[in-house]
Amino acid sequence: MFLHPRYAWIRQLAAFAVLLAVWEAAGRAGLLNPLYVPNPSRIGAALVELFSDGRIWPHLDATFTAALGGLALGIVVGILLGVAAALVPLIAELLEPLMTVLNAIPRVVLAPLFVIWLGIGLASKVALSFILVAVLIFSTVFTGIRQVDRKLVERVVTLGGDRWALVRHVYLPSVAAWVLGNLKIAVGFAFTGACVGEFVAATRGLGYLLSFAQSTYNAALMFALILLILVVVLLIFGVAGRLEKYLLRWN
Amino acid sequence: MRVRDLTISYGDEPVLEGVNLTVEEGRFVSLVGPSGSGKSSLLRAVIGLQQPLSGTVETNLARSELGLLFQDDALLPWKTARDNVALGLTFNGTERKKALAEAEAWLERLGLAGFGDRFPRHLSGGQRKRVALAQVLAMKPRLILMDEPFASLDAIVRARVVKDVVALVERERISVLLVTHDLEEALSLSDEVYLLSQGPRAHVIEQYNVPIPRPRDPVQSRMHPAFAPLYERLWADLSREVDHRAEAA
Repeated sequence: MFLHPRYAWIRQLAAFAVLLAVWEAAGRAGLLNPLYVPNPSRIGAALVELFSDGRIWPHLDATFTAALGGLALGIVVGILLGVAAALVPLIAELLEPLMTVLNAIPRVVLAPLFVIWLGIGLASKVALSFILVAVLIFSTVFTGIRQVDRKLVERVVTLGGDRWALVRHVYLPSVAAWVLGNLKIAVGFAFTGACVGEFVAATRGLGYLLSFAQSTYNAALMFALILLILVVVLLIFGVAGRLEKYLLRWN
Repeated sequence: MRVRDLTISYGDEPVLEGVNLTVEEGRFVSLVGPSGSGKSSLLRAVIGLQQPLSGTVETNLARSELGLLFQDDALLPWKTARDNVALGLTFNGTERKKALAEAEAWLERLGLAGFGDRFPRHLSGGQRKRVALAQVLAMKPRLILMDEPFASLDAIVRARVVKDVVALVERERISVLLVTHDLEEALSLSDEVYLLSQGPRAHVIEQYNVPIPRPRDPVQSRMHPAFAPLYERLWADLSREVDHRAEAA
């Protein structure tokens, strides 16, 4: 019964608990250097401390604002540019090479440049999240619209639909499907942008805290922050997944 | 609807050349021919999806009085069956609420009462075909162009859908131009059948009048005494055309 696929989560949880226990025991036995690998109990204590004294909230606020701001802007601008490029060849001619280059390079290298241009405040983090998301969404929308099912276009045309009807009933729903299909990746990119931006230069945010923990050799805080970022992103993944499931229920 | 000297080309050599064809009001006309004879291209030219190289399509019908039924149902996957049927009506300026009520009525007429809220993915092949048919019929067309609309259906569903289609077009006096590979289907449904030659430069090589009276049952009409001789003739002409082209090649 224990090996039934239905109870896979129990097995996974048990394996994780065993791993933590072994890790904790090895730490207490002095087999692990706490400077590099702190005990799980110390990581847990660091996490509890972050929340109990309330100093985590301004940092969470900063990272969330930057990531969600960049995500929203990136989705809107990515869709607008993608639709424009797919429908107007001149725009495609101008944008496609730029987007191809931006897609090819690791876009986080732009972080120092954004700090010079926009300062160490929120704007440079939003900008980095935005550029990561916008390029992804542009490519998705641009490729998607060009591959839209011709039969659906012809169906709407033969029923008497005009250009606006095509945009409203064929292109936009197709775009929504592609964007929602990439929403989880976009969320990951947005948080990457925010955290990397904060890591490079900031006074607040989870990335800034990580940088602080690194400079003070506080491995327990680093592990706690990584765990926190992981939980936050997984929670947003869950919301994005539910949104995707509801809006793409026709699929 | 009259097609005069129609030539369609996608490159150097025309697919269709000098095709003449007439669909009188209330008549069911089929177009048969070997693969690559440009049957679908002709339908696309009639409805305006394909620009002919030369020739004309003459009709006294408004654009909205022409309906097209594809081989694939081509329903918008993100819209419910009811919304799909109402789509053309709203393009014509019908108020949305009224369009939805009309769509529901058409779904009921085609045996899909209670399926209006379902998305195409959640319908069977036969049900999707009926929704596509309702979508076209809701526009009250006077001529429906059908591009092998029943090809993707299994035999039993196909027989039922075909029977419903025939009953509807007979009752509403709708003209039909059907493209099909199926000679039996063409003869059992049609008043006239046009045979196209093998492409490129396909043209009409024969026209057959089918004297089976209406109203028709598509299955029973195959038992009519006129059916077998016509079928044999059509089959012989088609085989001769294919053999002739194969020898020439």
